Amino acid sequence: MSSKEQFNQISPSEFFYRNRDLAGFSNPTRSLYTAVREFVENSLDACDHSGILPNIHMTIKAVDPEKPDPKQYILTVKDNGPGIPSKHVPLAFGTVLYGSKFGLKQARGMFGLGATMAILYGQITTNKSVKVKSNADGKTRFDFEMLLDIQKNKPVIVKKQETPSTENGLSVSICLEGDYSKAGTKIRDYVYQTSLITPYATISFDDPKGEKFHHKAIIRSMPPAPTIIAPHPYGIDVETIRRMLVDTHYQIPNVDDKMIEKVRKELGMSKKKFTYGEIMKKTEKKWKSLSRPVRVVISLMSFLEADFEKLQRIRIEDVDLRNNKLVYWDYSTSQTLVAEMDVESHYYKQLANTVQGESLTHFLSKRFQRVGPTAALEFCKFAKFKPETRVGNMTDQELVKLSDALQTYEGFRSPDPTCLAPLGDGPLEKGIERRFEPDFMAVVQRTASAYSGFPFVIEMGIAYGGKIETRGTTVYRFANRIPLLYDEGSDVVLKVVKDTDWNRYKVKNDSAPMIIVSHICSTRVPYKTVGKENVADRPEIEKELRLALQFLSRKLSGYMSKKGQAEMAKKRANLYSKYLPLVAQFCTELSGNKKEPNYKEMIKEETALTNSDGSLEEVKKNG
Amino acid sequence: MAKKQTKKETKKQTKKEKIDKSKNLISLLKKHGAQVYEDLENGEFPKFSIPNRSISNIIYDKKLRQYVLGTNTSLRSSRNSSQLRSFTQLLWLAFFANKLTHEKKSSTLRDVYYSSQAFAVDFEDQGESDNIIVDLEAVLSQPREDFYVFPEERSSIFGDLTIEYTIPGYEGKTQNLSSHPDGYAIGPSMTSAELVDTSAELVIAIEKGGLFTRFVEEQVDKKFKSIIINTGGQAPRSTRTLLKRLHDEMGLPVVILTDGDVYGEHIAMVIKSGSANAAHLKGLTVPDAKWMGVWATDIDKFKLPTIPMTESDIKRCYDLLKDPRYQEGLWKRELEVFIKIKRKAELEAFSKYGLNNITEKYLPKKLEESKSF
Repeated sequence: MSSKEQFNQISPSEFFYRNRDLAGFSNPTRSLYTAVREFVENSLDACDHSGILPNIHMTIKAVDPEKPDPKQYILTVKDNGPGIPSKHVPLAFGTVLYGSKFGLKQARGMFGLGATMAILYGQITTNKSVKVKSNADGKTRFDFEMLLDIQKNKPVIVKKQETPSTENGLSVSICLEGDYSKAGTKIRDYVYQTSLITPYATISFDDPKGEKFHHKAIIRSMPPAPTIIAPHPYGIDVETIRRMLVDTHYQIPNVDDKMIEKVRKELGMSKKKFTYGEIMKKTEKKWKSLSRPVRVVISLMSFLEADFEKLQRIRIEDVDLRNNKLVYWDYSTSQTLVAEMDVESHYYKQLANTVQGESLTHFLSKRFQRVGPTAALEFCKFAKFKPETRVGNMTDQELVKLSDALQTYEGFRSPDPTCLAPLGDGPLEKGIERRFEPDFMAVVQRTASAYSGFPFVIEMGIAYGGKIETRGTTVYRFANRIPLLYDEGSDVVLKVVKDTDWNRYKVKNDSAPMIIVSHICSTRVPYKTVGKENVADRPEIEKELRLALQFLSRKLSGYMSKKGQAEMAKKRANLYSKYLPLVAQFCTELSGNKKEPNYKEMIKEETALTNSDGSLEEVKKNG
Repeated sequence: MAKKQTKKETKKQTKKEKIDKSKNLISLLKKHGAQVYEDLENGEFPKFSIPNRSISNIIYDKKLRQYVLGTNTSLRSSRNSSQLRSFTQLLWLAFFANKLTHEKKSSTLRDVYYSSQAFAVDFEDQGESDNIIVDLEAVLSQPREDFYVFPEERSSIFGDLTIEYTIPGYEGKTQNLSSHPDGYAIGPSMTSAELVDTSAELVIAIEKGGLFTRFVEEQVDKKFKSIIINTGGQAPRSTRTLLKRLHDEMGLPVVILTDGDVYGEHIAMVIKSGSANAAHLKGLTVPDAKWMGVWATDIDKFKLPTIPMTESDIKRCYDLLKDPRYQEGLWKRELEVFIKIKRKAELEAFSKYGLNNITEKYLPKKLEESKSF
């Protein structure tokens, strides 16, 4: 067996170039739509995070309108966001896997990957450069024309130019192969639905056929921005714990001149030469005000009985806590020496703490969200760890045990939703009201819940009647303020809606003018595919969706039965005012009377009865 | 002479009866109207009590020899919002019937349906208005013809019978019904006309138009001193009324000639004793009428060419076997023979032996026979 396989490393750009289907660039129709999404979502994210009310303008223009689809289009998305500082522009748009979105908080995109993919796709299909105009300081606008070097994963700047401008924002323009005749409906739907879930944004779109779509902002305030937070114990694995340990873990400081200078300064012993005894004396006095690295260095000095001069001559090789020995290299004699450590000394404790890291309880309560000192202690009891176990000393097996226990322990409070940015009932309600003008609507925001340690919040709205023109239940699905348009069938939201027995809520599912808006916010939405179009049916999410929908359905049901009653009563009243006069007329003639009988009171009574048991006015306002 | 005397007397009586009947109807309608008026005046919701016409309330009255309604009634109240509409329709129809009776203007079932639209009383379709008409018949116990509502179907009459019209524009005008060989349509003017005089001694009701024409051509009216009536299948109620009047007022016996099948037998039965559909009405039957043929037993006797019965023919036979009127005599016997031979013969079957075979041979024989039962 001869192996002629060659092992090459490829750059991330190269990888995505070869696997562009994964990111939604499989064909001209889908690619055009995905490119639109990536740029619009980047713009919205940028505005959100800087607290700017977004104003986004998109145009799609055919390079040659006469040609049949698929053909080349120029896609331009311009926003009023913070812009990108000019030095970051080439990397941000010319490198795959470069971005500002790697923190743990809710955002539309995860890594800012898609925009670069769109640029890459454009370049592959048309061999044209991307044009980026960015103004980050409100003074100068930088215009770039760039190409991507796919093999090196590096931008190649073709043209760069500066112009004075006071208008902040970013504009990206690419040329790509697309099929607007097929993708048009989806793109228009996407723009419309985005405006529904982002009611504080103004979004306009000029399409290649010359049509203009303008969705003006409905509200003038933004929902609070999400914050970056520490991870929740449920969402952790061994590797993550290991990385966190490296971060926290205090290394024995490198004792160099700089360090010695620092120690002198903190002790207030900079100028002169001091004896070991003087140093220790001073240390006793000043211990509390000393910084941690300094304390560590002084602890070392205490066992070595060293003054500053001696300290300059040695290098610490090992702190052997098991045998209470300190091993060091002496430059002056060029040999390894060993010093005993007094276990009783508080300097020993200081060193031990430093080498072994924090105690487990301290580590848990400081480095995780939703874990306080008490919870940490209880967790230790549950996981059979000693609370004072030093995390730096834990073996690999212990780490695995810790990771498993963190995920099985049920005592932690649910994840902190402050990293999430749900729209809020108010804006959602306004959005639905303005876009659909329904007779009835209700919205609900569930309290935060979590799946596998990732917090999520479900927001849902239901609207019925009024100016809703569609018949049957129309479901608008959103995740992190992104509309999900493709692959409806396999989505968990659809599943929950389909499972609902609408008859129970007095709704005729096939013909009801009903709209359901569902919004899942999470630091990580469990999409089924890379294309981000449908949400997987995680039991925790399904449960929350179900509860939200049940809550809304009950409200709708209340409205429906009131509406039903009111309609019935109204019908009744109408019936009497229509037929009683006829009855009066006929019987008058039939009986040969001259005057009609006095029946008007009877109609009045019937009508009065109707108003007292719920008029339509009353029902309409109440959700 | 004596005979004529009697006839005239009967006639006078019936004339008076007829006027009374009309007056009765008007006062009955007025009475219902006044009741509704009074209820409204008192702030109460008016209602009608309507005899229940469901199958469970239809019973056979052996004395009357016809179906009648039982004592169950249902209430139609204007209080009930689901009945208010049909209550109004019923009252409107009473109002409309009153108008027709006063003005002596006839209308058809379809007219009624369209007339309603002038009064904002809407019927969804003619079926709905037809139902309300039957409701009013039941409330008043009077057939719709009495309040001048006639069906579309027309049958015809031929023979030496003089009538005197009573309808507006023709009052006092007389007409002899042997002047036109195609016969005279039995419509509202015929049904309401006075029966003045006849030389006939017999009424022959025949099921089919073709045979009716043959009978006129063969001068059956003269040869057998008869009035010939074409029932056009199942006899319409106006025709049955006329048959009854010819029998009661002119003292003429009625014989019926139908196809030799189960439907023919039942056509004769309906003339004789009414239908379940009209169980709420009396005065539409001629209990003394005789079914002359074609009998099941005639098929063999006269060697008639036959056709086989269909599934539904046979089913109809078994259905009728359960009918109380088919429990004895001729009716039961013939039905059983039909079931046995499972074949049927039409009136035209006699043509096998010549076109006039039926009038020359069969008719005299059966007429002779019929005198004995």
